[in-house]
Amino acid sequence: MLFKTNALSPQVAAMAGQEDPVQREIHQDGANREYTEVITSSIKKIADFLNSIDMSCRSRLATLNKKLTALERRIEYIEARVTKGETLT
Amino acid sequence: MPLVKRNIDPRHLCHTALPRGIKNELECVTNISLANIIRQLSSLSKYAEDIFGELFNEAHSFSFRVNSLQERVDRLSVSVTQLDPKEEELSLQDITMRKAFRSSTIQDQQLFDRKTLPIPLQETYDVCEQPPPLNILTPYRDDGKEGLKFYTNPSYFFDLWKEKMLQDTEDKRKEKRKQKQKNLDRPHEPEKVPRAPHDRRREWQKLAQGPELAEDDANLLHKHIEVANGPASHFETRPQTYVDHMDGSYSLSALPFSQMSELLTRAEERVLVRPHEPPPPPPMHGAGDAKPIPTCISSATGLIENRPQSPATGRTPVFVSPTPPPPPPPLPSALSTSSLRASMTSTPPPPVPPPPPPPATALQAPAVPPPPAPLQIAPGVLHPAPPPIAPPLVQPSPPVARAAPVCETVPVHPLPQGEVQGLPPPPPPPPLPPPGIRPSSPVTVAALTHPPSGLHPAPSAAPGPHVPLMPPSPPSQVIPASEPKRHPSTLPVISDARSVLLEAIRKGIQLRKVEEQREQEAKHERIENDVATILSRRIAVEYSDSEDDSEFDEVDWLE
Repeated sequence: MLFKTNALSPQVAAMAGQEDPVQREIHQDGANREYTEVITSSIKKIADFLNSIDMSCRSRLATLNKKLTALERRIEYIEARVTKGETLT
Repeated sequence: MPLVKRNIDPRHLCHTALPRGIKNELECVTNISLANIIRQLSSLSKYAEDIFGELFNEAHSFSFRVNSLQERVDRLSVSVTQLDPKEEELSLQDITMRKAFRSSTIQDQQLFDRKTLPIPLQETYDVCEQPPPLNILTPYRDDGKEGLKFYTNPSYFFDLWKEKMLQDTEDKRKEKRKQKQKNLDRPHEPEKVPRAPHDRRREWQKLAQGPELAEDDANLLHKHIEVANGPASHFETRPQTYVDHMDGSYSLSALPFSQMSELLTRAEERVLVRPHEPPPPPPMHGAGDAKPIPTCISSATGLIENRPQSPATGRTPVFVSPTPPPPPPPLPSALSTSSLRASMTSTPPPPVPPPPPPPATALQAPAVPPPPAPLQIAPGVLHPAPPPIAPPLVQPSPPVARAAPVCETVPVHPLPQGEVQGLPPPPPPPPLPPPGIRPSSPVTVAALTHPPSGLHPAPSAAPGPHVPLMPPSPPSQVIPASEPKRHPSTLPVISDARSVLLEAIRKGIQLRKVEEQREQEAKHERIENDVATILSRRIAVEYSDSEDDSEFDEVDWLE
């Protein structure tokens, strides 16, 4: 009766864990690749985020620039109108 | 295709060759890929820093501008509150004297220059191979150009465009000058040509026939134009339509002279063009109608003042000139026009001699026209070559203001030299005192041959022969006896003086040319410093000048 448990253990052992070292390696490699994939996808997200921030900031700065130049021209004109005697040749 | 500005450095994580002798290759690959991930993260962080740096710089500059604007607005608000409409005194002088307001138009220029290259692109560019070091050969070149420019020149297209723009500005300036000259000339033309002879007859005819029959004048001119041109010339419809629009009371003589001259010149062009093929027709014309003659004369001889004289004398030159090849007709016209214009400004004494001599000289000296053309541009300057001093003196003599004294010497001058250029017969009044002149001819000849080239000695020589002419002949006979003795001794000295003066004149001309070149080079050098701004200004000048120019698109040079 004590001998029966010895006959079942290798199969259980095989089912429970990876007894083959190659299989272990492959499994581990799969886990590593998944980890690497997560990291690279996040890197790509960071890169996309940077590009989008660059583009949006440049467009906003360009509109700001446009408004600034318009304001500057208007102020120049108003200064020319208001000031006395400074524009005489 | 978009240009990649920032490229993350380890492009592939695990596309590397694995080292040998490793048991667990999968772990190795994993470790290599993790290491590359770290490198990628580092380059990513570098580019992120660059991106935010650029954005920060732009925003920083905007902050400066905003602050300055804020200050200006504050000052303006203060000054506006201080404005008092009652205190302001506007005088008319202020309105006109004040400088017109011009906003500062700053245009973007040189956008894709090497200096404006962003840093990451500059780094990408530095990674590339450099061109061969051809600049080593630069010190051995004669041009002074860089050796590398022949291999690769980044500023090539810009230089091309710059030169083209400069050329265009110069061309347009020249065109403007020509147009101004034409505008100046055209108003003078109607003043010169008198309409009196035709108008009188036509007015009398009008009065005789009455207003109803005045249209016959237009029809007559049409018939003459048709006879001159031949049938079916399309532009004839223009005068006809023009006349049709005019009322019957008008005649073509009342048309504005510019249009008249155009019509007549066009008619004349056709007359001149046609006789190339059949030589007989022009004499036919001459023998036939009398009215085409004024049309021919008005264009061939250009602006001859004395019409009553010219029809008589001008017939022969006009109808002989078309038959020879084309060059003579424009040359005689040029000669006559320029000589007559100069004679307009000259003294009136030889009014009759000038019109006949130029056509006569033109006819009888077809080989000589090339030298007179430049001579008449500068009638005061004698020909640089010393030997032909005598003949050029002969030809520009009529246009020069000192026509009277030179005319006297001129007919004498060819006689001893034996060169008859047609001038001895024409001027009748000057050779009136021939006996007084001939004994003094050696004096005049000597005086004329010896003066060094230049304006001052020549006028002194001209009054010189005058003075010996005035006293009676015996002193003049005594003088030639003494002068020939002087001639051999004075010849080398005076010739040296003449040559020295000639060289000085040539150097003067060359010096002026060099100065002009230097000025142009200096301009070019100055230009190179402010290239884009000055170019954009010149473009603006071009567009302001060229009102009709529709070649360029404004969009191309705006932005």
